[in-house]
This record gives sequence, C-alpha cells and structure tokens, in this order.
Amino acid sequence: MATPGSLQRAQRRFAFSVMTPIMIYLMVFSLLPMIWAVILGFFDYSPARVGGSIFGLGESNPFVGLKNYIAMFGDSQPAGVFRHSVYNTFLFTVLVLPLNLAITLPLAIIIERSHARVKGFFRAVYFLPTVTSAVAVALIWGAIYNPQAGLLNSLIRTIGLTPPKAWLSDPQAFVFGIPLAMIALIVAHLWQDFGYNLVIFIAALQGIPQNLRDAAMVDGANEQQMFWYVTLPLLQPTLLFVCVMTILSSLQMFILAQVMTTGGPREQTTTMLMSIYSNAFRYQNMGWAAAMSMVLFGIIMLFTIIQFRFLRSDWEY
Amino acid sequence: MTTQSRTTYVHLIGAVLRYTVLGIGLSVTLLPFVYVLLSSLKTPSEIIHIPPTFFPKAPTWQNFTTIFGDPKVPLGLFFFNSSIVAVARVGVTLFTSSLAGYIFARYEFGGKGVMFAIIMAQIMIPFQMIMIPLYLILVKLQLIDTLWGLIIPAMIDAFGIFMMRQFIEGIPRELIDAGRIDGASEFQIYWNLILPQLSAPLASLGIFTFMATWNDYLWPLIVITTHERRTLPLLLTWYSNSHGSRPSLTMAASVIVLLPIVLIYILFQRQIVANAATSGFK
Repeated sequence: MATPGSLQRAQRRFAFSVMTPIMIYLMVFSLLPMIWAVILGFFDYSPARVGGSIFGLGESNPFVGLKNYIAMFGDSQPAGVFRHSVYNTFLFTVLVLPLNLAITLPLAIIIERSHARVKGFFRAVYFLPTVTSAVAVALIWGAIYNPQAGLLNSLIRTIGLTPPKAWLSDPQAFVFGIPLAMIALIVAHLWQDFGYNLVIFIAALQGIPQNLRDAAMVDGANEQQMFWYVTLPLLQPTLLFVCVMTILSSLQMFILAQVMTTGGPREQTTTMLMSIYSNAFRYQNMGWAAAMSMVLFGIIMLFTIIQFRFLRSDWEY
Repeated sequence: MTTQSRTTYVHLIGAVLRYTVLGIGLSVTLLPFVYVLLSSLKTPSEIIHIPPTFFPKAPTWQNFTTIFGDPKVPLGLFFFNSSIVAVARVGVTLFTSSLAGYIFARYEFGGKGVMFAIIMAQIMIPFQMIMIPLYLILVKLQLIDTLWGLIIPAMIDAFGIFMMRQFIEGIPRELIDAGRIDGASEFQIYWNLILPQLSAPLASLGIFTFMATWNDYLWPLIVITTHERRTLPLLLTWYSNSHGSRPSLTMAASVIVLLPIVLIYILFQRQIVANAATSGFK
C-alpha cells in the first residue's frame, strides 16, 4: 500500500487534473466574454469591419469612450428605441410581478388545502405550461389572439360583446395607458410562467409546521388572521425569493414578444433583450448593443444583490 | 339551524368555492393545449372560416401528412439536431457537474475556495451579457453555424456543480477510504463508487438540462443560420413565418414539437415538479 504522503500527492494531482481544464474553459467561455463585453461597450464595433489586430478593436472599429452610454440619452433613433425598450421592460415587470403573485399565492393555498389525492393532479397540470417550448406557446397564443378566426374573439362574440379590432397589432389600442399588445403578451406570459411560483409556494406552505397553525387556532384565530399573522410571515423568505426570481426572468423577457409581436406595434412591446439582440445580430452594431447589455446587467445585478443581501431567513422553525 | 350543522354548511361552501376556482384554473391551463390540438385537425379552409369553429367539423390528418411529406421539412433531421444537442449537453453537464462536485466535496487543495467562488459567480452572470462576445469567440473558433456551437459554450453548469457537491457531502467518507484500501485509482473511486450513488440528483439535473436545451431559442437563433442545422424551436418559427396563410399547418407543427416534451413530462412529472419546487431555478 502507498505511503500517506504519496497518497496525498495522488489526490492533489487528481484534483488539479480535473480543475485545471475547467478553469481554462471558464477563462475562455466566461471570464473572457465578460471582460470583452465591458470593453466592447466603449467601442464603435461592428463584426462587418476588419478593425485592429486585437479582437478587431481599434482602427475601423474605433474607441469611443463613453459615447455609447451618452448616446442613450440623446435623440438618435436607436436611443429612442432603447429608452422605449427600457420603459417596456419595466412596465412588463411591474405588471407581471403583482399579477403573478395574485394568482399563484391564493391558488397555492387552495391546492394545499385540498384533498391529498387531487393535490398532485392539480399541481402537475398547472405546471405543464412551464415545460412547453416558449416558441410553441407564442404561436398558440398568437392563434388565440387572431382577430378574425382566433379563439378569444369568438369567445367574446359568443357572450355578445364586441372584441377589439386587433390584440397584437393595433398601435392605437390602450387600456389604462398600457398598450393592448403588451397586456396580451403579459397574459400569455402569465399563463406559461405561473406554474413555477405555484409549486414553490406549495412546497413552502407544506413546510409550515402544523403545530404553529394549531397554536393560532387554539388562540381563536380565524382564517384571515391565520393567513396574515401566521402563514404570510412564515412565507416571507419564500416570497422574497419568488419576487426576485420573477423580476429577474421578466427583465429578460424575449421569446414570447419576439415570436408574437416582434416588438410591435410601433415598438410597444420591444424589450431590452430584443433591442440588444437586433442591434447586435441584425444591425451588426455590437458596441452599442454591448453598452445596452451592460445597462441590463446593472439592473439585474441590483436585484441579485438585493436577493443575496436579504435572503437570510429571519424565521427558524 | 344548530351551530354544528352551520359549520358543516360553511365548510361545504368553502369546498365548493375551492374546487370551482381549481376547475377554472384547470380549464384556463388546458384550453390552449386543447385548442392547438383541435386546430391542427382542421382543414385549411375551416381554420380561417368565419365564424370560427372550436371542434373540427371533419377532423383530418391532412396537416400532419403535409408536414411529414414536405421535402423542405425533413422532420427526422430536425429531431436529430435537437436530440443530439440535448443528449450531448445532458451527458457533458452530468459528467462535469458530478466530477467537479466530487472534487469540491471531498478533496483539499490550494486555491479550492477561490475556484469554487469563481464557479459560483457564473450563476450571477446573465447570459445576455456575454452572448455578444461569446458569438465572436465562436466565430474565431469556426463553430458558428454548427451544432458544436450550441454544445461547447454550455459544458460547465455552476448550479449542477453546487447541487452535486451538496449531495456528495452526504455520502460517507468510509466508502472512499474502502476504495483506496482496495487500491482503486482516484478516478475509479469517482466512477465506480461515487457515481452509482448519484442516480437521484443526476436524474433531476439531467431532466432539467434536457428540457432547457430542448426549448432553447435565443442562442440557437444567434448561432445557427443554415436551414438543415436548425433545432426544433427554430424550425417552428421558420415554418410559421413561411406558412403564414395556412395557420392549421403551424398548429400541426406546434403539436409535433410539443408532443415529445409533454410525453417526457407525463413520465417524469413527479421529479420535475419536485425539482422546480426545491431548487426554484428556471
């Protein structure tokens, strides 16, 4: 048998022979792109131009300092689209978050209380949309919203109302100042996405010990008091987690809008990620797109830090 | 009315209300699935007929046979593209996650803490931030417009490594010591003793990676340009755009793409839901 010293050497050798390729890989496919993304934001870079010798930066792809960032506040057409996309992304997020919680939390409580035999069934069905391809979801909802032959308008006509003339393409249609296309998109998104938060809430509710509820019951708490003073405080860490995850995924909204509306009508549903995508890969304007992606990264980072900062449970049970 | 019967009465109303809400939720959740299925069975003239029908008057497989018979849509090829990328990414992710997770759980070496922090930092980096330089790197490596370009940038999964490390820390050290006494090499210990213990977390991670890859859209949209190399989600948008006047075909194509994933979901529904509930990642 080997001596302890040589055994340790063999172990260390094994650990390094695994970790070295992983670290090199991460340098090429993670660290390098990160640094590159930051640098790109300071250049007027297009892959269509040859540029300098290092990563095509310089010469025909000149260094422009903060010009990309300053241009975001200017009145050029791309800057207008970008600001519109920031507004749309925030509008989308601000609407999705409360609506999602208003559906998932009550529904989770109802499912939690129902009979064990049906509980699993409802949970499984409600989760189904989340695993289906977002592209297919976008096409199905596009068909549902079709003004002539769509399901939604025929339902509306059946109950004797007049449907709007187009759900996804009328730039004049607003409800409470929110573009109708945006509302249609949010409904489709909620349909696809609510299963995640639902199963997380159900799991959290199942984790609340029965003796706490029993104690409140003995003290004469009614259903409402039980919810506000027992369930909700105990759900606080889960609630924060769910909020942050929902915000993060909403900020990165892409597929549904790209396939259902391609950002229209009149940029009313263009999200930040769509704006970044089309500037980088359609217009080959990668310096500008990289600067925009930095702004989105900053916003996402802010919420990630909030999560790490506050996601320490105050409750032990 | 006695108090006793009043409480039963209130309970009954509560139950009726609860199941009504659950039933409405169920219909709203399932209606789009039913709608796409029924629409895919309608004739091209019926689907644009006004007023629209819900149930097809004369159900037909015509849309499906049109797609299967379309020489520009070699479905087998697109299923192959999607499958090969998904299988490769699942295989590589399971291997690297379990191996690195094992190293972090059971080995001591200089720089371990720093390396672990570097890997965990990956979780916080949104993909949209690095996608532009990543594209430029793939151009340099001549991997653009290849299926490799969909596999190679996704070989290390920080969450997978974290998950495996947590799990392996629960495996008794005696198992590893016994392996060493038997003279097994370090890799043999990992392969023969550790890996067989990991079937549950490997299954969870594998299913999750498969679904994420299968439904991936943004990165394939950036990387793939040749029609024959498209994955299924790309095929679906292309097909929909090029058959805009025939929505019944698009609905049938959607059914074809949805069906495998729905079948997998039905088979593994319990693990998938439990997975999402405990990890909370999307």
